[in-house]
Amino acid sequence: MNNSGGSGGDDMGFPDGGNSAANCPSSGMIANSISEEVPMMAMSSMSTLERPPISVDPFFTSGWDTLASLSHNENYGSSSLVSHGNFVGSSYPVLMDNQGFGRNGSTQLAQCLSDPRLQYIGSGSISEMVGGSFGLPELNHLANHGSLPNSASNINSSGCERNSEKGAQSCECQNSGEEPDGSSAGDRRRKRSPDPSSQYCSNKNNEGDNSDVLRLQNEKKQKIEQPESADFSKHNTKQSKDDSSNDGEAPKENYIHMRARRGQATNSHSLAERVRREKISERMRMLQELVPGCNKITGKAVMLDEIINYVQSLQQQVEFLSMKLSTLIPGMSIDLEKALSKEAHSRGGGATNLALNPGMGLPHLYAQGVLKGTLPIMPSTDQYRPLSFTGWRASSSL
Amino acid sequence: MKNPQRSPTNPGSLRSRFTQVFLQSLLRIRKHNPTSSSSSSHGEFLKRCRRVKVAAYVSMARAVGTRRAWSRATLWRARNGERQRNLLYGRCSKSNSRERSLGKRKRKKKKKKKRDNEEHSFGHAKKLQKLVPGGEAMDFCCLLDETAHYIKCLITQVKVMRSIADFYSL
Repeated sequence: MNNSGGSGGDDMGFPDGGNSAANCPSSGMIANSISEEVPMMAMSSMSTLERPPISVDPFFTSGWDTLASLSHNENYGSSSLVSHGNFVGSSYPVLMDNQGFGRNGSTQLAQCLSDPRLQYIGSGSISEMVGGSFGLPELNHLANHGSLPNSASNINSSGCERNSEKGAQSCECQNSGEEPDGSSAGDRRRKRSPDPSSQYCSNKNNEGDNSDVLRLQNEKKQKIEQPESADFSKHNTKQSKDDSSNDGEAPKENYIHMRARRGQATNSHSLAERVRREKISERMRMLQELVPGCNKITGKAVMLDEIINYVQSLQQQVEFLSMKLSTLIPGMSIDLEKALSKEAHSRGGGATNLALNPGMGLPHLYAQGVLKGTLPIMPSTDQYRPLSFTGWRASSSL
Repeated sequence: MKNPQRSPTNPGSLRSRFTQVFLQSLLRIRKHNPTSSSSSSHGEFLKRCRRVKVAAYVSMARAVGTRRAWSRATLWRARNGERQRNLLYGRCSKSNSRERSLGKRKRKKKKKKKRDNEEHSFGHAKKLQKLVPGGEAMDFCCLLDETAHYIKCLITQVKVMRSIADFYSL
């Protein structure tokens, strides 16, 4: 459905936002005041602000309207989405509102601000903010849209007031601020009572207990709504088993927080191994970008072979060029060095237009004579750098 | 963080630092070898080649600094290369060499066991460990990280050396 589609697109943006989001978890903010369907569906798309409305009517209560009215639309990148009566797919506008509110120093938001980490939200991107505000504290991979649904349900927590005031705003705070006012309204989607929500706003330390409840509820909801989305399940872990390595405590940012996926082992060893594996795959991706022609390669073994070949060819090129330079050394002069350094800075590896040094002729001939003998020895590096090698061939043929 | 280092317009960038250090070392080599090209023998030419190659790697490692494990390993190797060679091969007898090879075999077995416990791809990484300086003492994850940085620096090095060679060969 939309979520799966959105989640696919979101994966791109997440690796960057994930870390930042992990730094600014909305630990206490989580109180589910929003109906489960709406936030989960709406929040799932992290990267796209324009999500089609997913039966989100109950989600948009009058309370949101008041919030929206407070917002200064010009502050938001997604201001176009912010409309008073229209919250279609607009968890983002709400978030943006929060962001704007915070900047404007809205008192409502100021109250709602939770951890210092939420401060990050104000400066971050939307996805970061969403991830940070929505994600349950220890979400390492906020690319998992699963984080959104859970957080969405946690957004409107009355307990958010406990959160310390910071510059950042989270929509959750906003919601929580609004909710007590609008709780009397019959339109409130929040299926959860404010009490557990307030619990969620409590410290992270307590969150472990409450989050279990919340997660179980989320699990049920998500099972109902989006059973096919595996990403959501990342958020819903079998928390009952997982205590040791899990983030129930330590809101410190030093820890790497991971959530086990549904159906996966949740003991600390496997979690740590998964973190390690993801690190390795991330680095392999980086290497894939560096090594030319490796875009289509999937698989560590082939990729490693390519990397090894590339490094070897680069080292051979260095050796070849050093040989070339050693023949040219007698022709080097100090005054030319300055011009050369400037030129080397400005250009990549292109040919120079500087004046020829008449003394260069000798080294050139000498190089030819010596290198003729060594040419056959030189390994062919055509795959990576044919230019210099063929250049020598041409000169030697003279 | 590495991007500003990579921009050629940045005066403190890796490329400019490498260029400066490398050119200085080339001139130093030139000073030490005042003999004209015509009288150089093949052996001396090869010696000079090796010196230039070492100078290239060392100047790149210096430009990088000691932040990276591979640059530290390169500098350490360059500093202790002579000493190492003397210790290992200077007065070694055949028995010593045999012992050393046996020790290597034992060490390999131990390493193999370790490798079985670790990722399967670590077997491939052994070759990579030999290529990247200082890679022997790293786990797979760090090795990949160092390899990425090493490749970036190698590319810069090749570019600069080629531009110098083109400059002087014209």
